[in-house]
Amino acid sequence: MTVENLLKRRELILAVLIVLLCIGTTYINPNFLSLENITDLLKAFTVLGIFSLGVLMVIVSGGFDVSFTAVAQVTQYGIVALMIHMGGGNIYLAIGGAVLFGLVLGLVNGAIIHFFRMPAIIVTIATQSLFYGIMYVVTEGRLIYDIPGYFWEFADARVGEITSAEGFGYGFSLVTVLWVVLGVLLYLFLAYTKLGRSVYAIGGNRISAERIGFNLCRTTLFVYGAMGAIAGFAGMVHVAIVQSVIPNSIVGTEMQVIAAVVLGGASVTGGKGTVLGTFMGVLLFAILSNSLTLLKISSYYYNVFTGLIILVSITANAIQSQRQKRRRVRVQIEPVLAEERHS
Amino acid sequence: MRKLSRALALENSALYITLVAVFLLMALLNGEKFFSAQNLGSMAYQLPVIGLLSVGMMIAMLTGGINLSIIANANLNGILVWLVLEAFMGRERMAEAGVGVIILAVIAGFLGSVVVGFVNGFLISIFEIPAILVTLGTMTLVGGLNIVITKGYTITGFPPALNFIGNGKIFGFIPFPIILFLAAVAVTSVILNRTRFGFSLYMMGANPVAAEYSSVDIPKITIMQYIFSAFFASLTSLVMIGQLNSVKASYAESYLLVAVLASFFGGVDPLGGFGRIGGVLAATIILQFISSGLNLLRMDPFMITAMWGAIVILVIFAKALAGYVKRRWSGRPT
Repeated sequence: MTVENLLKRRELILAVLIVLLCIGTTYINPNFLSLENITDLLKAFTVLGIFSLGVLMVIVSGGFDVSFTAVAQVTQYGIVALMIHMGGGNIYLAIGGAVLFGLVLGLVNGAIIHFFRMPAIIVTIATQSLFYGIMYVVTEGRLIYDIPGYFWEFADARVGEITSAEGFGYGFSLVTVLWVVLGVLLYLFLAYTKLGRSVYAIGGNRISAERIGFNLCRTTLFVYGAMGAIAGFAGMVHVAIVQSVIPNSIVGTEMQVIAAVVLGGASVTGGKGTVLGTFMGVLLFAILSNSLTLLKISSYYYNVFTGLIILVSITANAIQSQRQKRRRVRVQIEPVLAEERHS
Repeated sequence: MRKLSRALALENSALYITLVAVFLLMALLNGEKFFSAQNLGSMAYQLPVIGLLSVGMMIAMLTGGINLSIIANANLNGILVWLVLEAFMGRERMAEAGVGVIILAVIAGFLGSVVVGFVNGFLISIFEIPAILVTLGTMTLVGGLNIVITKGYTITGFPPALNFIGNGKIFGFIPFPIILFLAAVAVTSVILNRTRFGFSLYMMGANPVAAEYSSVDIPKITIMQYIFSAFFASLTSLVMIGQLNSVKASYAESYLLVAVLASFFGGVDPLGGFGRIGGVLAATIILQFISSGLNLLRMDPFMITAMWGAIVILVIFAKALAGYVKRRWSGRPT
């Protein structure tokens, strides 16, 4: 119950921060609240948002992954090159292929981590270098510009489009809607299925989870496999938005995604984290970057603010959980003393 | 305890054997070219940067921590050095800076590193936040400050006297940075193996609860640990200034994960408590042999990156296999 309250409080703090930031920015620059700005902003952060869903699951399971950007990059390059080579094809085929390819690469991570009992951070650093290095050697770092037209259509598609008096179309991008739908699905999965609960269980306490009867192997493979599949999907969304394949455009952003998830309240020691919190973490980063632009503050400051927000939020979180731990200990071990102190 | 040290020696001896094997392999593949003065010189020139970063990373990993902010810290160090030089000499006459100003600049850079190290250690120990989170935050913050100060530009033109640290040669052929690196390794070896501080680090990594009950002052040791780690960022920065004659917010960013891999490869347990400086030294030399050797074979630099990843995965397999064989030999049920 207390844990639930704590999580609620984290989301509340984020919500308050986001609202304050929105009000402040709108006050100075009313363009902020325009539908066009909001939809563009969400679209720009869709790739990060999709990544964050996979990372959330990995972190909740008590794992870690820095290779997902390399997985996205490799699947992106591989699938687009394959589609061009074969000619024809469509967006469903591309996304399906990318999800499968990503799944396989993710399973490699999961298998090494589980069967060799190695720290996830070491394994995924190694696979990141391996996947990325091989891709660069094979492709010689060539850029692909002439991507098939259905990627363009995919990125430009809108849901519930309305046309303004001047004839401009407004509406939420299909990719953004897909991100939100994926988030809702992940929420339902984590909350209501046995496999979803097992992700929290092995993150909270591996040994207890195993004794209760959760299958550690299945859950670990699932978590890293799903991370890979999500990364593959994100890679496709990325190529659709950027409209070219640039071999070094995704690798290097992994720490920013992890920061957003952590900001959203997920605990790197595992067992804690919500989809809503993660969504708000991404949203806060998105609004922050947009506010700086609209307030005409140099974008150089973006990382300074991001770093400060991360440090303040993790410290606040730590103080909260330390206080809680102390309270728990006092109640359990020296209830009499605690009472005496009060009187 | 003796069993423990024997196991460690065994693990390191495997590394030393690998070192010799890799050396022979690269010598065989490249022939005389591998022993040419040019190749030996370039290896001695490149090794210190990755070596210093790996040792800095190892110090954090000994307690099960990690220092993601080490590269950002190194760049901040270089930028602070530049700021002090600029304040005293102006942008045009920077190359004429005297020894006094240079020493002041180096001290300023070092103090910056100490602050970053202190913040890391303080947040990790007092608030019990996982090191990976704290250093992720300081990495972003410090990296951001670096960009704000430099506006993303590369800043060039340092005094030759300062560049000697990264670029100079002793007796006309031994690069100064390799001497600096080996000296730093020797001093670190003494600190880790012969002092109370070093012993406390290993103890905190192996069993933090036991360490606390053995009256190890965990906050004090952790803060010292991350300042010590940041000190290596300072040294790296001084070497990089000399080698590149410039500073930038984003130099050496790709070395961050390589430093983690090198420490792991050198036998440092990411969960803490185990790892010798000799192993890390051997690991960085092995990685240098491989990258220089493959480079001489005109291999793609990204192939080398891929190889490093592959090597670590092979090490993981080999360790699992060795553990399996050992269990079989000792006759204990698996």
